[in-house]
Amino acid sequence: MLDQYPETLINVEWHSAGYTPGDSDFEECYYYDAYGACYGARGGLYGVGGIPHTQWNGIEETVGGYGGANWEAFIGTFQELYGSMVGDETPFEINISGIFEEGQVSYDVTVSLDAYMSSSDMKVEIIVVEDNIYSYWGAVNEYHNARNVARHWLATEDLTITNSGESQTFSGTFDVNLEAWNPDSVKMIVLAQSYDTYQVFQAAQVNINNFDMDEDGVSNDADNCMEIFNPEQEDIDSDGLGDVCDICDNENVFVNGNIDGNVSVDGSVIIDIADILTLVEVVEESDPESCGYQAGDMTTEGDVNIIDIIALAQLIISGAFDS
Amino acid sequence: MRKILYIMLLSLPLAQQLEPMDIAIDQLRTIVETASRGSQRVFVDDFTGLL
Repeated sequence: MLDQYPETLINVEWHSAGYTPGDSDFEECYYYDAYGACYGARGGLYGVGGIPHTQWNGIEETVGGYGGANWEAFIGTFQELYGSMVGDETPFEINISGIFEEGQVSYDVTVSLDAYMSSSDMKVEIIVVEDNIYSYWGAVNEYHNARNVARHWLATEDLTITNSGESQTFSGTFDVNLEAWNPDSVKMIVLAQSYDTYQVFQAAQVNINNFDMDEDGVSNDADNCMEIFNPEQEDIDSDGLGDVCDICDNENVFVNGNIDGNVSVDGSVIIDIADILTLVEVVEESDPESCGYQAGDMTTEGDVNIIDIIALAQLIISGAFDS
Repeated sequence: MRKILYIMLLSLPLAQQLEPMDIAIDQLRTIVETASRGSQRVFVDDFTGLL
């Protein structure tokens, strides 16, 4: 069900070294900068003693074991709790955007209000989790697929907005442990929670590979213009850059060999002697930002030089572009 | 005609396999599905349990 309704049912698993498999790394979670301190910090909020312990929206709890790890024995209790909470209205909306590159995530979390809400003891919590960690649990003699295991409780910030239409943004960075974590399974989970009653008023989650920086409905890894809103992804010259951020003339097509971007009336590229002459100019100018530069890298070495001119001339003479 | 008879005979024991647990899970699924359409969320802190 977590997979089927990821925007509705969100969880974090907090693991204690004393309860988890001996050869696992579940307890590797930083509470701010403190290694292995997440379980104690989070459990302290709710006075967690025995496990398993589940805390629903911060205010309702179920405690105790399930015989033979048969959690389905609790399904009736879960059903009652879920049904009592899912209709609650909340004035909070949470948006998570960011970028993941070279092992580091830079994020912006924006919390907004669409109705009045007291800011007394309201906090925003930012948590990094790793999903789907499969391991053997000796206590119940079975393999278990742990979901959304806490890895780094990054921050707990004061939420100061109170009126409809107001918003507050929290920005930061964190490193992804590429040796121990599977980056495809790393998510950010953000909560709006009262530290007076501990009620969770809103929750949101996003996989770090699925950030949508410009909020156009296309995740960064698939967006042809990551920082500018372009939900239709128009790319008239099919060069992989969306029209709204394409520095080149979109009426021309700068593909490999078509240095001047010329196209015929039917839209097909024209590669001829004129492209050789244009490539000579590109080599002389040596401007990597020019439209013809990448199209002129015939040897795909990353730069454009005399060798590329010779290679293009040979291809034209041999008739490689005639079709 | 014989095929129809087989199907009818098979359907009787299968229908009786719908246990209370299945009904409860179906009901929970319905609640979640309804909630999903309304963009409503429930957050669960799970302390070393099986969820």
